[in-house]
Amino acid sequence: MNGMFFALVGASIATALAGIGSAKGVGGAAQAAMGVLSEDSSKFGKMLVLTLLPGTQGLYGFIVGFLILVSCGVLGGDMPTLAQGLCYLGASLAIGLGGLFSGIAQGKAAVAGIAMSAKDDKNFSKGMVSVTLVEIYALLAFIVSLLVVIQIPSMTI
Amino acid sequence: MKTVRIVALRQDRKRLLEHLQDSALIQIKKAEKSHNGFEHVDMSRPMQVFERNVTLTEQALKVLDSVSPEKGSLLASLKGRREIDPDEIGVIAEKSGEVISVCKRLTELDKKRADNAAERIRIATQLTQLEAWQRLDIPLNTSETKSTAVFVGTFPEQYNEKALQEAMAAESPKLEYALEIEHAEEGMTCAVIFVPVSQKNMAEDTLRTLGFARPMGATSKIPKDKAERLRNKSEHLRLEIEMTEEEIASLVGRREEIKITQDYFRIRADKYNVINQLDHSKYVFVIEGYVPEDDCKKLHALCERVAVCTVDFADAGEDAPVKLKNNKFAEPAQGILTMYSPPGKNDIDPTPLLAFFFYFFFGMMFSDAGYGILMVVVLGIVIKVFKPDQRMRNNLKLFQYCGISTTIWGLIFGSIFGDAPATLYNYFTGTTDKTMTMLLPWPTIDPQKDALTLMIISISFGLIHILVGMGCKFYICFRQKDYAAAFFDTGLWMLLLIGLAIMAAGIFLAPVCITVGAVIAIGCAVGLVLTQGRGSKNIFGKFFGGIASLYDITSYISDLLSYSRLLALGLTTGVMAQVFNMLSTMMGKSVVGFIFMIVIFIVGHLINIALNALGSYVHTMRLQYVEMFSKFYEGGGQEFEPFSLQSKYIKIQEDKQ
Repeated sequence: MNGMFFALVGASIATALAGIGSAKGVGGAAQAAMGVLSEDSSKFGKMLVLTLLPGTQGLYGFIVGFLILVSCGVLGGDMPTLAQGLCYLGASLAIGLGGLFSGIAQGKAAVAGIAMSAKDDKNFSKGMVSVTLVEIYALLAFIVSLLVVIQIPSMTI
Repeated sequence: MKTVRIVALRQDRKRLLEHLQDSALIQIKKAEKSHNGFEHVDMSRPMQVFERNVTLTEQALKVLDSVSPEKGSLLASLKGRREIDPDEIGVIAEKSGEVISVCKRLTELDKKRADNAAERIRIATQLTQLEAWQRLDIPLNTSETKSTAVFVGTFPEQYNEKALQEAMAAESPKLEYALEIEHAEEGMTCAVIFVPVSQKNMAEDTLRTLGFARPMGATSKIPKDKAERLRNKSEHLRLEIEMTEEEIASLVGRREEIKITQDYFRIRADKYNVINQLDHSKYVFVIEGYVPEDDCKKLHALCERVAVCTVDFADAGEDAPVKLKNNKFAEPAQGILTMYSPPGKNDIDPTPLLAFFFYFFFGMMFSDAGYGILMVVVLGIVIKVFKPDQRMRNNLKLFQYCGISTTIWGLIFGSIFGDAPATLYNYFTGTTDKTMTMLLPWPTIDPQKDALTLMIISISFGLIHILVGMGCKFYICFRQKDYAAAFFDTGLWMLLLIGLAIMAAGIFLAPVCITVGAVIAIGCAVGLVLTQGRGSKNIFGKFFGGIASLYDITSYISDLLSYSRLLALGLTTGVMAQVFNMLSTMMGKSVVGFIFMIVIFIVGHLINIALNALGSYVHTMRLQYVEMFSKFYEGGGQEFEPFSLQSKYIKIQEDKQ
C-alpha cells in the first residue's frame, strides 16, 4: 500500500482550510470596503489593498497543496510510500489550520483598518501595516509546511 | 530650515503673493496675535465668493459627467496637471465671469432636468392609479345626478359581480342598487354603484362597512381623457428633458475651461486665505514663514525683483517643518517615509537607507526577471507618455527601481516569468526534463530546492537590516552626547547579536567561531546585566533591571524570524508562476492548444503580478516600519508645506528667467 491517499488528503487540507480562512477574511473585508465605497468611490485603490491582505493564506495553502501534488506522483514525481503519505498529511496541517484561523483574524483586522482609513486617508499606511502583523503567523505556518514538504521525497521511510 | 520675515508695501501685496504662490518656496506661518500697530485684514467675503465659485464649477463638471462621462478615467488619474503659460492667467481671469455663467446655466439645467424627471415619476404613479378605471365613461368625482346617487370607488377585497351583490345584500337587504365592476384584482375591486337618491344615506353606511373608499385625487375628467392628457404631458416632459440634456451636451466642450476656471478660483481663494492671516499696518504688511536653507537666496532675489521689501532670515527653532532632500536614487522612497511620519527633531533622515532596503527586499520578494523588466519598461512608458506630477512620478520611479532589483533577484533565483523558458522549451521540443538550472548559464539558487539555505540568507539580511537600524540609533545617541545610551543600550545589543550570529555561522563553518561568538555574546550579556539597571536607585533594582533587560532577546528573535517572509513571498511568486506555466501547456501541441497557452499565460501572469506585487509592497513596508524603524526612528515631524498652487488641473510653467 502506498501513501497516495494520505498525500492527497494533505493537499486538500492545505488548500481547502487555508482557502476557507482567506475566503472568510477577504469576504468580510470586501463587505466593509463596499460600504465605504458606496460613500466615496475614489477610495477604491486603498480599499482594494486592504481587502486583499487576508487573501495570502489561500495562496500559501495552494502552494503547499500544489507542491504535494507535484512531488507525490499526481503531476509527476514518484509514488509516496505510506509513511511519506502520512508525513505529507502531517505537514499540511500547519498551513491548513494556521491559514484558516489567521485568515479569519486578519480579515477582522482588515475590516477595522478599512473603517479607520475611511475616516482619514492618512491612517491608511498604519492600518495596512497593522493588518500585516497578523500575517506573520500564516507565514510561519507556511514555512513549516513547506520545509517539510520539500524534504519528504528524499526521506527514506 | 530658516525662518523668514518679509516686510513689503501693501501696494505690492498682490504681485508678491502671486509670485510666492507660483514659486512655492515658503511656508507661511499664521500670525496668531497682531503685533502692536498691526492688524489683520478681513478677506473672508471675497474668499467665500471664490469658494462658492469653486463649488459651482465642481457641480457643473458633475452635470457634464452625467451626460458624457470623461473617458479613460483609470489611466487619466496618472496624468499630470496641464502646464500653462503664466501669461494665460490673465486670459483665464477675463473669461472666468463668462465660464461661471455657463456653470450656473448648467446647474439650472440640471435642476430642471431633475424636476422634470420627478414630475414624470409622479405622472407615472397617477397613470397606474388610473389604469383600473380605463373602462369607466364618467368622471371619477361624479357623486349624484338628479335622481341617482353615484358611488365610484374601491373595496379592499377582490369581488366579482355576484360576490359583491351577496356582500351588499348581507349588509342591508333593502338597498336598491345597480353596480358595475370596473376592475378587480387581489385585495382590490374598483366598482361603480348607482343608488336612488332617497337611499343615499343607507347606501353610504352599507358601503362604509364594506370598506368602500372614493379614489384619491379624483377629478372631473373622464379617466380615459385624463390618462391621455397625463401621457401627453409626460411625453412633453420627456422631450423637455431631452432638450435639456442636449443643451448640457452642447456645453461639454467647455469642460476644460471650467476646470481651469475652477483652479483659478481655488488659487485665488488660497491667496485670500493667506492674506487673512497676515499682519497689516497702514502702508506695509508682514509675511512670516519657513523657507528651506537652499532656497533662501532664490526667495530673496524673487522678493527684491517683484516688490519693495525687506527680507530677514533667521535660524528656525526645533519645531520647524522638515523638507526632505535626497538624491535621485533615494528620492522616490520619501513618500514611504512621509507615509509613516516625517522625521522629528532628533531624527536623522533615513531615506537613503530606507530606499536601498526597500528596493532590495521588494526585489527579493517579487524576484522574477520577466516581471522586473516588465515593471521597468511599462512604468517608463507611463512616465514618458502621461508626464505625471512630482508625487505620482516619484511613486512610479520607486517601482521602477524595485523593478531593477526584482530583475536581478529573478536572475539569481533563475526565474523569468517563473520557469517559462524551460516550459516553452519542453513544449516545443517535446522533452520533459529541461529545467531552468540547465538552461541558464549562470549558477542559480532554486528557492524550492534550497529553501533552507535561502531562509538562512533571508534571516542574515534581516540581521543586517536590524543592525543598520540600531547603528542609526547609536549614531543619534552619540550625536546627542548620550554616550551611555549609545554604548550600553545600543552598542552592547549590537555586539550581542553579532556574537550570536558568529556562533550560528560557526555551526556551519568552524567550531572556533562558536567559541569566539559565545565569548562575545556572554560578555555582552554580562555587560547588559551590569548596565541596564542603571536607572534604578537601589542595588536590587539595578540587578533585576539588568536581568529583565535580557528578556528583550525574544523581541530581537521574533524580529529576525519575521524576515523569513523574504523566502516565503519569493517562493510564492515563483511557484504561482510555475503553476500558470504548467496550466498553459496543458492542452498540448495544436492550434487550439497554442491559443489556449497564450491566453492562460497572459491572464495567469497578470494575476500573479497583481497579487504578488501587492504582497511584496506591503510586506516590504512592514519590514521597514516595524522591524527597522522601531529601532531608532521617532518621527512626528511636520512636513514642509509651502504656500503653492493647490490646483487640480493646471500648473504654471516655471519662470524661465
